[in-house]
Order: sequence, then structure tokens, then C-alpha cells
Amino acid sequence: MKTKFFIPIVMLVVSLLLLSCGGATPTPSTSGSDTSGEAASSEPIKIGGGFALTGEESALDLPAANGAKLAAKEINAAGGVLGRPVDLIVHDSQYKMDVTAQIAKQFVEEDGVVAVIGFTDTDSVLAAGPTIQAAGLPFITAGATSPKIPTQVGDEMFLACFGDNVQAAAGAEYGFNNFGPNAYLLWDKGVEYTTLLGGYFKDRFTELGGTIVLEDQYDDEATDFSAQIAKIKALPEQPDFYFISAMPYNVGPVIKQFRDAGLTGPIVGGDGYDTPDLLSVAGPAAENVFFTTHALMDATGGTEGIKKFIADYNKEYGHDPENAFAALGYDTMNLISDAITRAGSTDAAAIKKAIEETKDYAGITGSISFGDSHIPQKGVTIIAVKDGAFTLGAEVVPEKVPAP
Amino acid sequence: MSTLDDRPASSAVGEAQSANPGGVAALMQSPVAIRLGAILLLTVGLTLLQLSGRAFWQGFVINLGIFMILVLSLNLASGFTGVFSLGHIGFMALGAYGSAILTLPLAKKADYLPNLPAWLAAVHFDFYLGPFPLGFLLATLLAAGLVAGVALLVGLVLMRLSGHFVAVATLGFLVIVRVILFNADNFTRGSRTFSNVTPYTGLWWVWCWAILTLYVVWRLKYSAYGRAMFAQREDSLAAQAIGLAILPPRLLAFVVSAFFTAVAGSLYAHFITSFSPTVFYFDLTFRVITMLIVGGLGSVSGSVLGTVAIMALAEALRRLEDVTLLYGMSQITLAVILIVIIIYRPNGLLGRREIVLARLFRKGGEPSP
Repeated sequence: MKTKFFIPIVMLVVSLLLLSCGGATPTPSTSGSDTSGEAASSEPIKIGGGFALTGEESALDLPAANGAKLAAKEINAAGGVLGRPVDLIVHDSQYKMDVTAQIAKQFVEEDGVVAVIGFTDTDSVLAAGPTIQAAGLPFITAGATSPKIPTQVGDEMFLACFGDNVQAAAGAEYGFNNFGPNAYLLWDKGVEYTTLLGGYFKDRFTELGGTIVLEDQYDDEATDFSAQIAKIKALPEQPDFYFISAMPYNVGPVIKQFRDAGLTGPIVGGDGYDTPDLLSVAGPAAENVFFTTHALMDATGGTEGIKKFIADYNKEYGHDPENAFAALGYDTMNLISDAITRAGSTDAAAIKKAIEETKDYAGITGSISFGDSHIPQKGVTIIAVKDGAFTLGAEVVPEKVPAP
Repeated sequence: MSTLDDRPASSAVGEAQSANPGGVAALMQSPVAIRLGAILLLTVGLTLLQLSGRAFWQGFVINLGIFMILVLSLNLASGFTGVFSLGHIGFMALGAYGSAILTLPLAKKADYLPNLPAWLAAVHFDFYLGPFPLGFLLATLLAAGLVAGVALLVGLVLMRLSGHFVAVATLGFLVIVRVILFNADNFTRGSRTFSNVTPYTGLWWVWCWAILTLYVVWRLKYSAYGRAMFAQREDSLAAQAIGLAILPPRLLAFVVSAFFTAVAGSLYAHFITSFSPTVFYFDLTFRVITMLIVGGLGSVSGSVLGTVAIMALAEALRRLEDVTLLYGMSQITLAVILIVIIIYRPNGLLGRREIVLARLFRKGGEPSP
């Protein structure tokens, strides 16, 4: 009875092991060698797409990957780049850092890509970054917003989105001008993104002359915010608004509990709020919530580019884009193909130079220019939740941005 | 390469056991020769892999070694003693952060950890002895030693518990470590990613440590200490009746296991080079436990087999995903396989038995040690 199942299992393991080795051997390493595109070969230009399609970050990475794939499809339909089709090779990092480091090596060594795009969180970018940097390939992250990333990884690293310091400054200025000089600050202590966002908000808000009447934090795994709410209720005077720096999975519960406790003032947040969960979990409690993000994914209120993107996305995947990360993925893919076109070759150094020279590239998440910095100067979209829908609050460029 | 030194030690012990006359046939049956042969084979394999320059498969084999150390040491703490620990990844986290803070060069320390206390800010284990990164070895040993000390304190309390109480209590330890790492901003950068660690870890580092772990765990299993661990696991009353104390063998297993888990943490830190406290949590905990259970609680060769099987399967399924585009399938399949194994082989692939290399070359079946 026991040996009956033991042998098949061992056989399965062995056969799959062989399969995994077999899958790798026939592809010789091509990176760096066949770089000249002038030979008018019809061989596809390979771009690596690293995304955490499963795991905790998938709410952001899956739309980003879909957006990038849609862009690649459109580029190929329009005749490709330099007369060659683009091949976006997607690997799932499973939001595991060892797997993330491994797929970076796979891109460089087995797939022979000319550039890498992807990821929406700092941990993943920093796990994949060193390998791609060492290989001398350009790497554009779709949605990791930490402004420190380029100095941590190196000169091949670019952001397709604004940095957290920019969106936090936009949120601080918007709150200060519209709601008042007294703010409450709450942040998720368990994640880099929320910690940085909260810190930059505080920097800019106090610089404007505002006062943080109370600052508090919670753990990433928290589901109950009653302790934090009790402290606010004990305040002699309620703040003008609440700035809550939260991850997408916490946004719904924290807002709902604030409202249930009778705290009805405006709530301001970052692009972590840009998830359908905000409306589905918080429901009517989401009224009077404002957040900064990359673009308003709205088929009626958005720009022409956004409207077309939403229609195409819907046609391709059968539903509207989940959030702005879909648009960021789309822009990132187009940004790299634009750079390759301008570089006129698939040489990694030429592509990197072309990305650096990108000026006023009209992406659907805003105009993208890289100056000396590898973080683009982009406008910030502020979304207001009204009558159970995301509506455009404002398009702003912050007056002053805290240093990264 | 320093830890190559422990290899002769392994054979020296074997030599004492069997004084063997020459001859190829006799050599084939000598445990010493077979062990040396296995190590030689591994060395040749690793050398070839190193020379091939294929970073992906080198990375795979490095990960394999790191997980093997984790599984072997968890087996020592949980499989041998029956005291199930869910908190080991906490030791790994402490080992990773401890060694990474120590090896960070001074310039980067000023950049990334500006608020370190002066005595720690001046310490930097990034020195070399010729081409050999001696600082990394010392930092690993120092961090692992400190973690072993922490394990001693924790173990003195927790190892008195049994059954599911200890599982819950060790889980509490994991949560405490995480909260401390988040809040000790000055040392760990809090929730912000600890990045730019020097990538010291290579094939030789990992596999020398893995062989050392394997050797220590193997020797412990068949020592008087190991027998005491198994005895109190099977029947604590009977063990006490013959004069065995319960706490010392458990504590020994826990502390040694914490030491090697911290070593694995240090190797991981200097391989991935960036991490945050979220990395060392439930996900890693359950991946290691899966490998342990699939291999068999209490079986040393089972730990090796379980790690290789799960890692190979995960990698094969991941590649299958890229072809079929069914992302997430690999994790579902792994979970189903775990369920099937639990149903049909509740003690894992090997249970508590061992694969004895020498037996593979013999005709007759002799009882395993």
C-alpha cells in the first residue's frame, strides 16, 4: 500500500525535474551578442516583464501586466519596432523574493531580453534590480514609487511613475488648501511604501505651516483600528482632515471603521487607494475620500487616451481596468518601445540613452520626461469619491517636493 | 572555501568506525569511501556549475542549499524532539539582519543606517584575507552565535511546553521578532527595504554550510543526545522513568537548530541582497514546513529529499506556467501534492527511515542504523 504511491510520486518528481532542465538547455544565451537591429531580421525584440501575478501584490501587478501585454499587442499590430515584432516575456515572481531574483537571471541569461519592465513594489524591484543592473540592461519599474530606488539599484534603473515624495506633496498641498491646517496622520508601519508616503506627507505639510495634531501607526496585518480611532476621539478638537497611508488591502476596512465610529471628515490617501476594493468594501463609507494617483480610470470623465485605453482593455480582457496600474503597465511598455525606436537599435546602452532623453512623451498617465533624474516629472491626479464612484478632483503638479 | 575544512573531519570519524582492507569491492562497501565519493561528486558537480557561468542554475542550486539548511535544522528542532516550532523563520530573520548590519561597508552604513549607535556604526566586517571574505564568515558566525543565545533564553521558557502549546508560543516568537524588526528603525530601517548588502554568498559558501549542517544533524541523530531527543518524543513518561531529563535534549536541539537557521538567514541576506521584515514571515515558514513534512519528520535524508523534491517541482511547475500561461497553477499543484502525501504517506516520503548510501551498493538488505 505504501510503496504503491511512493514510486509514482518519485517518478513524477524526477520527470518534472528533467522537464525543467530540458526546458532550459535549448535556448542559448543571446544577451549582449545579437544587438544590431540593422540586419533587418524579423526576429522579435525581447522585453522581459517581471510581475507578481500571484501573491499579495497581485492586485496591482496583474493589471500592470495586462496593460503591458495590451501595449505589446498594439505595437505588433502597428508593425512592431524597427520593423521587428516585440515579444514581451512575462514571468510570475509569486511575490517571493528568491523567485524574483531568479526570474531576473532568467531574463538576462535564458531569454536574452534587451530591457526589463515590471513590478509595482520596492522589495521586488530591489530583489531583481542588481542582476539586471550588472547585466547592463535598462530596467523600468511600472509602479514602484519609492524615489530612492534609482540610487539603490544603479544607473540602469528608471521609474515610469512619479515618486512617493511627489504624490505625498500633492496630497499635503491639496489637503492644506481645501480642508485646513490641522491634519491627523496614520500610516501602516509594516510596509516601505506607506512609511515613506506618511513621512513625505508630514515633511511637506509642516513645511506649508500645517500642524499634525496626532500621528499614529498600525501593523500591516491589522484588521481592527478601534485603538487608533479611540485616540482620535479623545482629541479636544477634531482635525480638519485625516491622512491615512494604507496598502490596498487595508484601505476598505480602515475607512469603513472610521466612518462607523462617526469620523466623517475628509480622508486623504495615496495611490494605494486606487483599488476597486475601496468602493466594494467601504461602500457608502468611501464618500468624502480623496486620494492621489496616476490617472483616473474612468470611461466618461477621463482624457481621450484613457477612454481609448479603457475600451481596448475591455475588449481584450472582458472588463474595465482594475486601477491605474493597468495604465502604468501600458505606458511602461510603450515608453520602452518608443526608446528603442529612437535609439534605432536594440543595443542596451543606446536604449538607456534614449530613455534618458525621453522628453514630453505623451503617456496616458501623463506626460513623461526624464531629466537628470531617473524619476519622471509627472502630474498627479487627485481623485474624489462621490456618489459611489471615482471622480476627478484635480490634476496638480506640487509646488515643492521633499527630497527623497 | 574555509568550511571545506570540515570535510576531512567527516571522513575521519568514519575511518575510526571501519578499518578496511584494500580492494575495489571492499572500497565500494566502505562507508568512508562512499561518503568521500558523494562529496567528491558534489564538488565536481558544483565546480562544473561554477565554470558553466549559468547564473540562473547557480542561483537555483544556491537556493536549494539555503532551504536544505533551513529544513535540516527545523527537522532537528521539530522532527527529532516532537516539539513543533513555527517560529524558526524568526531566527532566520535575526541572522539575516544581524550579519547584514555587520558586513555593510562603512560608507553604506552612513548612507542607509545613519542612526546606528556609535559602537556598531564603527564596526564593519567587509575585510578580506587575500581573496577570501573573512569578514563575511565572522559576521555569519557572530550573528548565528547571538541568535543561538537568543534561542537559549527563549528555549528555556518555551521548551517546557508540549504539543500545540509550543506551536502557538513559537508562532508568538515569530510575531515578536517581526514587530521588533519593524520598530528598531535605527538598526533595521524598519519596514523600509534593507538594501545594498554585499553579495558574498556563492555556491561554495552555501554548500559548505549545508554539508556541515547535514553532518552535525546526522551525527546528533545517532548520538546519545539524539537518542534522548527521540526517546522523550515517543514517550516522555517512559523517558523520565529511565532517568532522562526532558528539557536538556530539547534545548540542545532548539539552540543548535537556531544557530544553523541563522546561518541560512545570513546566506540568504548576502544572496538576495535586499529584504524587509515581511519577507521572513508565514510564506517562508510554510514553505520550509512543507519540505520538512514531505521529506519526513525525523529523517535526515528525508529532509534532503523533501527539499530537492519540492524545489525541483516548484521550479518545473513555474516553467510550465510560462508555457500554459496558467499563473498560480504551480502553487495549487504543490498544495494538492502536499494533501495527497499527507493522506497516503502521513509520515512523509521517508517517515523516520534513512537512505543509507552504503546500502545502495550492497546486494543484501541490511537493517538501517
